[in-house]
Amino acid sequence: MEKAQKRRFSLLPKKKTTEEKVSGLICILPAFVLLVIFVFVPLVMSIFRSFYFYESGPVEPYFVGFANYAVIFKDEVFRKAILNDLIMTVTIVGLEVILSYIFANILVKIKNKFGVFVRTIIYLPYLLSGIVIGVIFSLLTTYDGGVINGIIQLCNGEKIGFQFDKFWAYVSIIVPTIWVGFGYTTLVFYSGLINIPKDHLEAASVDGASFLRTTFSIILPSLKNYIVLVVVTLVTSNLQMFEIPMMMTNGLPSNSTMTPVLYLIHCRANGNVSQSEIIAASILIMLVIGAINAVVFTLSNRKEKK
Amino acid sequence: MESKTTDFKKLVNRRKVVSKICTIMCYISMVFVLLSLAIPFFLVIISMFKSRSDVFPTKFNNLFELIFSYKDGFIVENFNRLAYLEYYSLGINFFKSLGMTLLVSATATILSLFVNSLAGYAFARLNFPGKKIIWIIVISSMFIPGITILLTSISVVSSLGLINTFMGLVLPGVASAYNIFFFRQFYMGFPKDYDESARVDGCNSFSIFFRIYLPSSSTPMVIMGAGTFIGFFNSYLWPTLIIDQDHKELTQIMTTINKLFNESATLGYGAVLAAAFIALIPAIIVFIIVQRYIKEGIALTGVK
Repeated sequence: MEKAQKRRFSLLPKKKTTEEKVSGLICILPAFVLLVIFVFVPLVMSIFRSFYFYESGPVEPYFVGFANYAVIFKDEVFRKAILNDLIMTVTIVGLEVILSYIFANILVKIKNKFGVFVRTIIYLPYLLSGIVIGVIFSLLTTYDGGVINGIIQLCNGEKIGFQFDKFWAYVSIIVPTIWVGFGYTTLVFYSGLINIPKDHLEAASVDGASFLRTTFSIILPSLKNYIVLVVVTLVTSNLQMFEIPMMMTNGLPSNSTMTPVLYLIHCRANGNVSQSEIIAASILIMLVIGAINAVVFTLSNRKEKK
Repeated sequence: MESKTTDFKKLVNRRKVVSKICTIMCYISMVFVLLSLAIPFFLVIISMFKSRSDVFPTKFNNLFELIFSYKDGFIVENFNRLAYLEYYSLGINFFKSLGMTLLVSATATILSLFVNSLAGYAFARLNFPGKKIIWIIVISSMFIPGITILLTSISVVSSLGLINTFMGLVLPGVASAYNIFFFRQFYMGFPKDYDESARVDGCNSFSIFFRIYLPSSSTPMVIMGAGTFIGFFNSYLWPTLIIDQDHKELTQIMTTINKLFNESATLGYGAVLAAAFIALIPAIIVFIIVQRYIKEGIALTGVK
């Protein structure tokens, strides 16, 4: 009996490994194949095509080296779009991080049912599509008869042309974007704050640390990973923003709210820019996003060394 | 000695007052946030029953008249008009588009949960050749911006014959590195003894997944499923680019709403608001389901 049992156990590991190997590969196969077909193949194709002249139609693609990139660098609108994008993203991320950090602290303090209710509700705008957001906020910002201008008229003020004035055009994009992301950011900070070990905070208050000191020496370092996560997520998604700008201003006035992705969509619709140039521009966008995220990571690691 | 105790009492009282003021300000800011969330929705609901000329009123004497401008009456016609959009120049039936979008989202969600959970399980529990490299490749797909692969994915999808097809709307978004990552984290938290005893009993890797891991996966399934469903429902760019005018039955809801928005002069903005409102109902329903599920889950396990 014992011998038979011993043999059985020594056979099992061999069988297990081969079966495990094959099963493992089969399990990842659908996901991996889908990723390869719909993400990696297009990526490689994009990189290749950016160095060729490529357009759907009779003309055969030919090698142009960096010519596509050169055309884009010279394109004033694209350069403006990148600049606008950076300005808006920095504003949005800065405001959103600060506001939701403050509000997360408030939510931590108020633990009753009202607090739970607020915590649930603030997530709702995040579930909406940029198109729906644009429809909703356009109700507010329409020049003739929009709610905001209506209220201003009642106060005998001057109506705001959200699509005509550069500053207000920016506001009409920044406010809805923050409105959408506020719930997500606040909840991330909230979960970060409640995970701080209470003994650290108690020790600080026993030692008589002031509010500012506690914040900077204990809370913020514990939240470092959450802050980095939020900033990277927000920066990446906002640099690609296009649905809200498309709905609110569509690049007006005179391209001061144009964003790179929105510009590329326009170019594709207008057909005045070749497909390969659009692809090269999209690769530049990827590099810009990558560079900014790299900067964020480096900055966050440098603080640790201090 | 006495002065020290009174000083101490003063300090305590001062701290109590400061704390109360802080609490009041906290409540004020919470109310403020709630209002800023609720007011846009409130205005949409009010305005979607207005006639074309009432949505953006030109003559009003006070705030009440500005918001509640029902000079042409409280109409439900905006919703009816949505059903007859095909007879206007828009050519799409709003409710058919909504139904098709729900179908696409549901199919994509089911496929995505299956594909991603299986992959997450494999990365969490199984050992296969090239596991580390493949994992890095999968993770790296999270960092590729959509715009970079947009045009070339259209080429790929076109050469696969999936343009203007149901599967062309579904397949590209099914595999998600983010979801696989989430499932992997979840499955890595399972005790390994269950696997081992199952293997001793003669189970292979698949039956371990289907009998042990999958039944306990309801939490990540609900969360990932909700996210995937809403993501597909809300998608605008991809469906707009791969479904053209000749295949109106496959038009997705966000394309339809955007068209409505651009041609709001024809139907009046009230109809656009009605459309947007209907479009946000599925998201809210999904949200309520997830919230109820999480609350029940907590009640069952007793963990806060």
